[in-house]
Amino acid sequence: MPSRRRTLLKVIILGDSGYVNKKFSNQYKATIGADFLTKEVQFEDRLFTLQIWDTAGQERFQSLGVAFYRGADCCVLVYDVNSMKSFDNLNNWREEFLIQASPSDPENFPFVVIGNKIDVDGGNSRVVSEKKARAWCASKGNIPYFETSAKEGINVEEAFQCIAKNALKSGEEEEIYLPDVIDVANSGQTRSTGCEC
Amino acid sequence: MIADRAEDEEKWLAAGMTGLQQNAFHMHRALDSNNLRDALKYSAQMLSELRTSKLSPHKYYVLYMRAFDELRKLEMFFKEEARRGCSVIDLYELVQHAGNILPRLYLLCTVGSVYIKSKEAPAKDVLKDLVEMCRGIQHPVRGLFLRSYLSQVSRDKLPDIGSDYEGDGDTVVDAVDFVLQNFTEMNKLWVRMQHQGPAREKEKREKERSELRDLVGKNLHVLSQIEGVDLEMYKETVLPRVLEQVVNCKDEIAQFYLMECIIQVFPDEYHLQTLDVLLGACPQLQPSVDIKTVLSQLMERLSNYAASSAEVLPEFLQVEAFSKLSNAIGKVIEAQVDMPTIGVVTLYSSLLKFTLHVHPDRLDYADQVLGACVKKLSGKGKIEDNKATKQIVALLSAPLEKYNDIVTALKLSNYPRVMEYLDNETNKVMATVIIQSILKNKTQISTAEKMEALFELIKGLIKDLDGIPDDELDEDDFKEEQNSVARLIQMLSNDDPEEMFKIICTVRKHVLTGGPKRLLFTVPPLVFSSLKLVRQLQGQEENPFGDDLSTTPKKIFQLLNQTIEALSSIPVPDLALRLYLQCAEAANDCELEPVAYEFFTQAYILYEEEISDSKAQVTAIHLIIGTLQRMHVFGVENKDTLTHKATGYSAKLLKKPDQCRAVYACGHLFWVDDQENMKDGDRVLICLKRALRIANAAQQMSNAARGSTGSVTLFVEILNKYLYFFEKGNPQITVASIQSLIELITNEMQSESTTPDPATDAFFASTLRYIEFQKQKGGAVGEKYEPIKA
Repeated sequence: MPSRRRTLLKVIILGDSGYVNKKFSNQYKATIGADFLTKEVQFEDRLFTLQIWDTAGQERFQSLGVAFYRGADCCVLVYDVNSMKSFDNLNNWREEFLIQASPSDPENFPFVVIGNKIDVDGGNSRVVSEKKARAWCASKGNIPYFETSAKEGINVEEAFQCIAKNALKSGEEEEIYLPDVIDVANSGQTRSTGCEC
Repeated sequence: MIADRAEDEEKWLAAGMTGLQQNAFHMHRALDSNNLRDALKYSAQMLSELRTSKLSPHKYYVLYMRAFDELRKLEMFFKEEARRGCSVIDLYELVQHAGNILPRLYLLCTVGSVYIKSKEAPAKDVLKDLVEMCRGIQHPVRGLFLRSYLSQVSRDKLPDIGSDYEGDGDTVVDAVDFVLQNFTEMNKLWVRMQHQGPAREKEKREKERSELRDLVGKNLHVLSQIEGVDLEMYKETVLPRVLEQVVNCKDEIAQFYLMECIIQVFPDEYHLQTLDVLLGACPQLQPSVDIKTVLSQLMERLSNYAASSAEVLPEFLQVEAFSKLSNAIGKVIEAQVDMPTIGVVTLYSSLLKFTLHVHPDRLDYADQVLGACVKKLSGKGKIEDNKATKQIVALLSAPLEKYNDIVTALKLSNYPRVMEYLDNETNKVMATVIIQSILKNKTQISTAEKMEALFELIKGLIKDLDGIPDDELDEDDFKEEQNSVARLIQMLSNDDPEEMFKIICTVRKHVLTGGPKRLLFTVPPLVFSSLKLVRQLQGQEENPFGDDLSTTPKKIFQLLNQTIEALSSIPVPDLALRLYLQCAEAANDCELEPVAYEFFTQAYILYEEEISDSKAQVTAIHLIIGTLQRMHVFGVENKDTLTHKATGYSAKLLKKPDQCRAVYACGHLFWVDDQENMKDGDRVLICLKRALRIANAAQQMSNAARGSTGSVTLFVEILNKYLYFFEKGNPQITVASIQSLIELITNEMQSESTTPDPATDAFFASTLRYIEFQKQKGGAVGEKYEPIKA
């Protein structure tokens, strides 16, 4: 029986550019705190429940801080392909996440990067090329990269599939509390750096 | 004390975390072995850690988040249990056996979430039950977090339109009711904090409240995300009930924060359609609430909305947004007698930006806003507050940014009146902003009247305000600002010469009041702008009736003469001399001999009386010679006088080499290519011979003083002049004279007393190469050069 803890995944979405779980709208609407949603994803024969904390985009009200970063299984970084600043900020977001969430193995923590709004103005206003984005992802330990359109949310599903796949690979090593449950035979296995999709 | 407290808090948090993790571990084992009883027991123990009162909201949140994550695993287990056939209703009953109320309610909310998902009972009933049960916790911090938990787990299970939980009597109304009720209860808990505990801990309490505010505000965000909350429902239910709570809670912190939330989380068009209601709430808030910030945020949002697309503008007109906002601001300012100037200006600045975006065609609205601002500022004298003056600059810059055209702003009668309230320093900053706008947009100021108005606005840069020179001004800053004034004057233009003349007269009138330091920067561009007008008129037929009123070059020249004279107060004779010569040349092109002669006379007087530095003299004399050479308007007599003077000046320069160069340059005065009557070969030759004599004398002087003759550069230069006039066909310049000059130079160069100079050698060599080159050209030129032996 698959471990319950490995089919329940906590995902944090960060970045200057919003979307993913929100319906895209040009209308400005501030977000207060993080938006919390659950989503079920089928990967291979397993059903994963993702708890998604989405704070990407718009102005942030966060009077209580970011304690919700802790215990995350994956962090999705979103930027707007039409805004260089949002791309430049990915690094800040990544570092801020690693500091605040302080995962046990920051080098191999699974991130996913999403380039958003590729369809705006028929792609004419795009300023961050796919190549540039992929190069950045490669430099940060082969972070999987996806591009999504604002209107239709294409590839969002693939991104979530990837998160599930990542979790399946790295899931065996997540037990932290009380060492007597760790399977000694598994402890020597090589760590993955994220999926290749 | 504070450090101790923080340390203690860390310890308490660590202890809480350990307790929580231990129980979570046992809960996991119970879950893995499907032991429901143990799972409930340990989860309740785990949740008991949240009963602490020792942690600040920040630290409590860390503990809460940890419990939240653990409860997700329990929730999964409950789901599986339900799938395995365990009744959710039984689970719902079962968890209520937990001993303590706080763990019991957390567990209840967790099962409740599964309960709604199972659809075994209507969502609205479960939600209603939960939101009522949460009343059991009246401790503000614990209560707020518990209700926040309820809000989070129910977030995606509300019977919203299009959701899985709608239907069977469950409607979006139930969803909205539930969130509104939770919001109201949370706000009450939050406000109550203010009144608990000793008065001396007010500051600490307010800090804690500030940390907790987003838990309350989150409910408004949830409301804004509910699909079914359309404009109608927002207008009829959501906004009135939210505002009712905001107004009735009578709490300054809550009112300010929640108004900000309302403005930020709901869509623009909702705000537009409910302006009356939202603005109507403002006067009902506590007097200490910072309403100006609230209103400014609202207007900023609406301005951005208006700027986003022209399609939305009719909406603004339809609801008469401007007059509503304008009224509301008036009321707020009236009600808050003590509002500082910055508050007043900020409000009007936001309103002005709003009207500029929404009603770009209604200048009267903009003027109305400025007028209201003036009214409020009147009687306060110059504004001292730095931030307030900055706001005024923002206020006054808004129309410039919107229209990119100062001329539009000049139509605003209250614009200069607002500027009156700026201190001298800020007045200048504003003047610079205005000029930059004109320069950037190349705005044409089309009438003297507008120019007058413009100079009224920028007078801070034109003259010393209050008649007191500002000694403390940084030199570079002064140059910068005066240069921008100069650029403004330089770009004056108008196709109608009559109007242009009036504009120049206006500018001149103001500029001449600027004092010596400014004239240096402003007179030259004024002169050139006037000359531009002369060029414009030149070639036009003079009015045959000699109408005194019409603009003629003569009139402009008279004005120019007086304008340049103003420079004598600085004094800058070399600049004045250049300007006189420039005018003389323009007069020459207008065939005005007496005028041109007068300008030359002025230049000569300056040369004789004011320019005493020998370097400046050299520069001046070459300018004089160059200009005089281009003059064709002079009759023989005038020409002779001026030429004679110029050659006289040349021969009297201090240094021999300077003398020599000026004298051979005078040669050009007697030989003008395109004028047959201006080719006096004899006098050219006299000049060149005289230059040779001076060069000789220079060598001898050098020999006597230093023991070496110095270089032969002067001779090579003179040789080049010989070649020039030879080529031009001056009959006095013969092959023999050139030949002997070449020999002279060759001998001198070989002489032992001559200082070797590679530059001169190269100069001479290339001169000889030129002769060879001309020879090889053949034809008439080649034939002419042929006899010269290099």
